[in-house]
Amino acid sequence: MPRLLASALSLRRDPRLLKLPPYLSLLCIVVGVVWLFLLPLDDYSRRTYISENALLPGQVHTYFGGSDQNVFRAYKHETDELAGKGNIEVNDKLESIAKGLGLKVGRQNFTYSSAGNTHSGQNIYAILQAPRGDATEAIVLVAAWKNVKGELNRSGVPLVLTLARYFKRWSLWSKDIIFLFTPDSIAGPQAWVDAYHDAHDSSRVASLPLKSGALQGAIALDYTRETRFQSVHIVYDGVNGQLPNLDLINSVNHVAGGQMGMGVAIQEMWKHSNSYHDRLQTMLRGMLKQGLGLASGPHSSFIPYHVDAVTLQPFGEGWQDEMAIGRVIEGTFRSLNNLLEHLHQSFFFYLLMQRERFVSIGTYLPSAMLVAANFTIMAIALWVKSGQPDVQEIITEKTKTAEEAEKIVSPNPHVASERDLFLPLVLVAVCQFLGVVPLYLFNHLSESALIPAFVLFSVLSSILPFLLSNLLHTSTTSTTAQQYHLIRSFSLLLLGMFLSSLATLNFSLAFFVGLFSAPLTFVRPCPNSSTLKWLSMVVLYVLSPTTVVLVASMLPGLDEKVGCGLGEVLRQAAFAWNVTGTYTPVVVWCVWWPAWIVGVVSVLGRPGAGDKKVKKA
Amino acid sequence: MRPSFPSSFLLSLLSLLCFSPYTAIANASSPADSISNSRSDYHEQLILRPLPLSTLLASFNFRSNTSLSAFEAHNFRFFPRSLGQILEHAGTRELHLRFSLGRWDAESWGARPWNGAREGGTGVEMWAWLEADTDEEADRKWLTLTNALSGLFCASLNFIDSTRTTRPVMSFQPEGNHIDANATNMHLLYGVLPHEVVCTENLTPFLKLLPCKGKAGIASLLDGHKLFDSSWQTMAIDIRPVCPEDGECVLQIEQSIDMVLDIDRSKRPRDNPIPRPPPAHEMKCNTSKPYHAHDTCFPTDSAANQDWSLSQIFGKPIKGTCPLTDPTVSPVCIQVPGSRVVFASEGAIEKKNPDQTSRCFDFPAENEFEIFLPAPEAQDGSVVIEHVVKPETPLLYAERSFTGHGQERGGVQTILRNPSPNQEVEFIYMESLPWFMRIYLHTISARVDGQPGKADSLIQEVYYRPAVDRARGTQLEVRMTVPPASTVFLTYDFEKSILRYTEYPPDANRGFDVAAAVITILNKDKSGGNGRNSRFAAYNLRTTTLLCNLPTPDFSMPYNVIIFTSTAIALAFGGMFNILVRRFVAANEGPESGLKKGVNKLKAKVAGILKKGKKESAPAVAAEVEEKKTE
Repeated sequence: MPRLLASALSLRRDPRLLKLPPYLSLLCIVVGVVWLFLLPLDDYSRRTYISENALLPGQVHTYFGGSDQNVFRAYKHETDELAGKGNIEVNDKLESIAKGLGLKVGRQNFTYSSAGNTHSGQNIYAILQAPRGDATEAIVLVAAWKNVKGELNRSGVPLVLTLARYFKRWSLWSKDIIFLFTPDSIAGPQAWVDAYHDAHDSSRVASLPLKSGALQGAIALDYTRETRFQSVHIVYDGVNGQLPNLDLINSVNHVAGGQMGMGVAIQEMWKHSNSYHDRLQTMLRGMLKQGLGLASGPHSSFIPYHVDAVTLQPFGEGWQDEMAIGRVIEGTFRSLNNLLEHLHQSFFFYLLMQRERFVSIGTYLPSAMLVAANFTIMAIALWVKSGQPDVQEIITEKTKTAEEAEKIVSPNPHVASERDLFLPLVLVAVCQFLGVVPLYLFNHLSESALIPAFVLFSVLSSILPFLLSNLLHTSTTSTTAQQYHLIRSFSLLLLGMFLSSLATLNFSLAFFVGLFSAPLTFVRPCPNSSTLKWLSMVVLYVLSPTTVVLVASMLPGLDEKVGCGLGEVLRQAAFAWNVTGTYTPVVVWCVWWPAWIVGVVSVLGRPGAGDKKVKKA
Repeated sequence: MRPSFPSSFLLSLLSLLCFSPYTAIANASSPADSISNSRSDYHEQLILRPLPLSTLLASFNFRSNTSLSAFEAHNFRFFPRSLGQILEHAGTRELHLRFSLGRWDAESWGARPWNGAREGGTGVEMWAWLEADTDEEADRKWLTLTNALSGLFCASLNFIDSTRTTRPVMSFQPEGNHIDANATNMHLLYGVLPHEVVCTENLTPFLKLLPCKGKAGIASLLDGHKLFDSSWQTMAIDIRPVCPEDGECVLQIEQSIDMVLDIDRSKRPRDNPIPRPPPAHEMKCNTSKPYHAHDTCFPTDSAANQDWSLSQIFGKPIKGTCPLTDPTVSPVCIQVPGSRVVFASEGAIEKKNPDQTSRCFDFPAENEFEIFLPAPEAQDGSVVIEHVVKPETPLLYAERSFTGHGQERGGVQTILRNPSPNQEVEFIYMESLPWFMRIYLHTISARVDGQPGKADSLIQEVYYRPAVDRARGTQLEVRMTVPPASTVFLTYDFEKSILRYTEYPPDANRGFDVAAAVITILNKDKSGGNGRNSRFAAYNLRTTTLLCNLPTPDFSMPYNVIIFTSTAIALAFGGMFNILVRRFVAANEGPESGLKKGVNKLKAKVAGILKKGKKESAPAVAAEVEEKKTE
């Protein structure tokens, strides 16, 4: 041990040690990325299993069917007539049907404004009081009148009504069942869930006239097609990348895949051969959705309130009919009804790569953490470096002999020189603060002003580093190499800190932002080599937040042929911020963008200029 | 048993020993009986009231009296001995016990039966007036009482400990006639178990208290399967001393069961209770719809009234009357509009009430009794004929729910709606909250719907007894009014405490049940009657229970964390600490240690001796020293 210690101590003073961190950082990034690509392998992912034994999915007979199909057809006629009619008119009809079933009906108005548009509507919901229950718990069945793509939920709404009628006949419910009909798929459910938990802004969203107990789970049905289907697609991404308890997905999977014998797909992978490639693709799609943090269906708004929810979408050509999906819902509700406790097993952090394979947080988290750690390592290295007198600088800049240089350096090579903290702190703080500007701008401008604002902002944000750099090199203030080290150190320290804490909340977002800002670790002032300088500049500008947003909007989406366009991306981002409270814009504009600005400033830096002046004086 | 036997004492004793009802009849008809027939000692009645939305309210009421003197002489006749002994042992003057399940749907069913006096919140609720000189003695007696009743009724009443017991100040008044009603030695204690699941094991002891058990009379209808499949049910036991103005004080025990049955559900055969979809041709469809076809059916309202009979609903007819019951009280009454046809089994005598809303039936004791209510004929045209007696509007609607989310703070909001267009309602709102809900009393406020700002003047009086951690719960009683035709929101905030990990129940993530709030509406007439009693309790209602989520640890996580951190500390911290506190020196610089020191000393001594001694013996001694060294 002592020998080890002695060698470690001697290593500490070894100048070679300071050369190590960039390689260490690179290693972190490489290992982090490779790690991610190992996850789909059998050795690193696990088969899913039901952790909550009370769920007992697929253990009950489902009886929905028979003459209920006649009722379904009648309700479908009723709702078909309502197609294209106003929200209130639709709700009047739904109310009359629900009241006829003996359910308690409530309505709720809401108005959201985002990007100059108003999103308003009226939710209607019916409560089936548990026949022998005591209003302490409830489960929700949601049918949005229109799905996320704006298509009419043609079969979903009548099916939920039919199920309401069917559920009313059973006396075994231990929890109230709430049937919620919303005019759209994002704003309506959000307003309703907010109001249910009294977390709403009462000037925009009305309070609920009727309430039940604590929500234990929710299933949303997005069933637009009118023909028979083959499989069911489970959408599970919540707002801000939060996920429902895996047990819920597993239960639906068991009931649909095991009991009903229909296919189950996730992440729009309509065909899945369970190969490495497909698994990786599923996982990356899931990560992309998680990273964006947008609401992906009516279920998304429930998840932040710790209400586990998924959306079911039938798809494909097959022989399964409406009654089959009804039975899937019946089976799932019977499982949820069995729950004695809220789903609580630590099953909220996972990446699904096939319907029956997942990786748990313990396995995948190191990947994003390593990427985030590379910034911290570099920040610490820079801090240490800033404390050491720069040997090389002195040797090269001063036209003195090597012996003289030796004299200056050798007396106390490891005594820290004094750090000039003021300028670096101010610069980094100002850059961080400036991040509020785009955040405010893009979330409060009206839709027509969004694209011009974005273009203007992109130009400004490209020029800003040059301005700042010039400001750092005016005649009165000049920046030393040490200050550049400190600037980069602080900026990377903040980035590493933000990203590693974000990794526990939204793994994918932290991972992607970490990857995009990885070059920031390696760029440095290069006053001598202009090629290196311009190469760094090109890399940085290609991976700048504005460029990434622009390119992402041009790229084709997961299932579309063309990108949705910049305007749509900005509008959606504003909508997500204003309605569902997505925090991705905060990460982009207040974490990533400031770090990027500082990175470009340090590439443009001409350190030592100040040094020269001081020494000459 | 010979009627001529003179000793009334022996007679009563015999009657106690013989539980057969026939013995009791002989006893009751005996002229030598000192308890006398002057007053009816036992009667039972079943009131059936069809409610809207195809439901039926069945109220069973059983009442028996025993004179106080007989009770004190341990002379139990109709009064159940098991209960009587418990009451006597615990010094109980008046006892109310409730077992409830489900919720009363006031919106559709209207006012509660018995004006809410015979019901409790979900779970088990009990309150009693105990005779005790000090609070401690009362607590001791209460403990005895709850434990004894716990055994008698197979309920977890023994879990009503000090944290679940309160002493209401305004909400309850004795129902019986106590000579010293306000005396200091009468202690009211109130306990509630919201999480207790009421089931068959509570019904059986309940029925055992009846003189005819469940064998004859209306009690023969009571069956766990039907009772606990009802939408709402409450079993109540009230024991109180009643002193009629003429005559001896009696101890009265009133047992009642109220249940709301879903007619559709109850009519399902017991061997096939699964609500399978009916065959398509049996469906009642709305044929006026244009799309109506053989495979398309818009169902008509399920609220339509159906025909039913007692044996369809309860699975069996009434097995005669209990021979002990007072013959002047009709055993079965049904409340339907006078225009509606009701068929009863042969031999029954129908007695219509003058108000045209109820009719009663008398029938011979040995016959089985059956009622059949045919479905009302379909009426077309504008004339709407009521098929059920229109439910009375309750004085107040109350709904309570949690506000807020998260595991640190929360709020409770009670929505109180007064449906009356011109009369305000004054009531006492009582909450007995568990200690881990720490309420902020300053946040209690009332707000009238549609009016800006607070309306705290509606709150007239607040009685608040704060909780003591792990020792007693919060007790909050608020006397307030709701103006006519308005809705008042009563809200307050609370903080959730963190429990010790051993205090969590096995199903910690379910949440913790918070007992129903008790609302006692006061009579408007403030001047009438004898003091406070008459003003009291025009109507009672209870809100639903709530489920409060406390911050719950992941109980498997600490184990993982402990193992992980222990390992990390053992490896990292241990090594680090070792390095930090240890001083490293070169081996030759350090002080000599134990054995080496001793050996060196010895060596020096030996060397000294050798120097002094003869030189020729030196080699041998040196060899000895060498040997010691190697040791």
